[in-house]
Amino acid sequence: MTSLQTPLYNLSEFPLVYEPAEDTHLFLDALEKDMDNLLQIKPVTICEIGCGSGILITALASIFKNTCCYFCTDINPQACLATKNTALLNKADIECVQMDLTSCLKAQWRFDVIIFNPPYVVTEENEIKGNGLNRAFAGGKKGRIITDKFLKSLVNILSDNGVCYVLFLKDNILVEVEKIMQQNGFCSTVIMERKIPGEHLYICKFNKKH
Amino acid sequence: MKLLTHNMLTSKCIRGVNVGYPLSINASDVRVADVDFNPDFISRMIPKIDWPVLYNAVERLGHVEDLPKETPVNYESNEDFLKKAHHALLEVEIIHGELVCPESGRKFPINNGIPNMLLNEDEI
Ligand SMILES: C[S@@+](CC[C@H](N)C(=O)[O-])C[C@H]1O[C@@H](n2cnc3c(N)ncnc32)[C@H](O)[C@@H]1O
Repeated sequence: MTSLQTPLYNLSEFPLVYEPAEDTHLFLDALEKDMDNLLQIKPVTICEIGCGSGILITALASIFKNTCCYFCTDINPQACLATKNTALLNKADIECVQMDLTSCLKAQWRFDVIIFNPPYVVTEENEIKGNGLNRAFAGGKKGRIITDKFLKSLVNILSDNGVCYVLFLKDNILVEVEKIMQQNGFCSTVIMERKIPGEHLYICKFNKKH
Repeated sequence: MKLLTHNMLTSKCIRGVNVGYPLSINASDVRVADVDFNPDFISRMIPKIDWPVLYNAVERLGHVEDLPKETPVNYESNEDFLKKAHHALLEVEIIHGELVCPESGRKFPINNGIPNMLLNEDEI
């Protein structure tokens, strides 16, 4: 099995960036577990939404090296800087653009791998504002406002053989999401789950039905 | 920001903008990085690239050198061409400058190699 190292990072200059936590580590473990499948699709374009510290996409870059290009977005300007910094620390070459999800990508563009550890906490809707650290958590109703918006766009940004990984919390009611995605032409599989104090986390993988 | 990224971006997310592509470039700081060349990766990327947009962007930045105006036939086996494409796509980077929406004139600043494409609520 190809092992996925946790990249070096240093957020001391970026106090408003989400510090890698249990969710981030579950994500790394899930990507590692699914690595044989990832290698098999021979991706050339990899994208992370909401890169935060940038350690997830940097970890993928350390595996796929110069066989792929790496693109990521975050609405938080410090997260974009932190990701560039993490990439540099690990000698990875990662492009980062500050934007909302993938709203400024041209319609025809597709990625082979997309990962998103979204803001998944159930909050009041009005907490989803600005572009600071609150945006790392605030998910509004069912903690799904941002995730649902992202998943709605997935059909247009994922290549036909592509795979997408998203983190969910029990409160997000994943079965609802899987049903909607099924109707939108996707298969979904929970590839890893973990109970930590106060949270039950899942990594769900989506791919287009053929 | 690499010119590969420029090839992917639009400002169509602005209310009233239809295509928003390609974005014009004003660059005040351009650097040429040294990126590992992988001919197989580049030749798999070529079909995804809007070549005229890439060509105009490198030309605008003054780094066109002898990049061909069109992709040659059988480019997969043309290592010389793939190296030039690699250079244009991955090595020429805009560190500071701005991207400009071709329809509305809205400017998106690029600082430290990161374009800021975030819109205000009243623009969406
Ligand atoms: C839970 S954190 C994950 C950070 C990092 N990927 C990790 O796993 O440690 C969620 C990230 O998504 C970003 N984010 C939230 N809403 C976003 C949106 N609409 N578009 C882009 N990024 C967003 C936040 O700024 C934050 O960096």
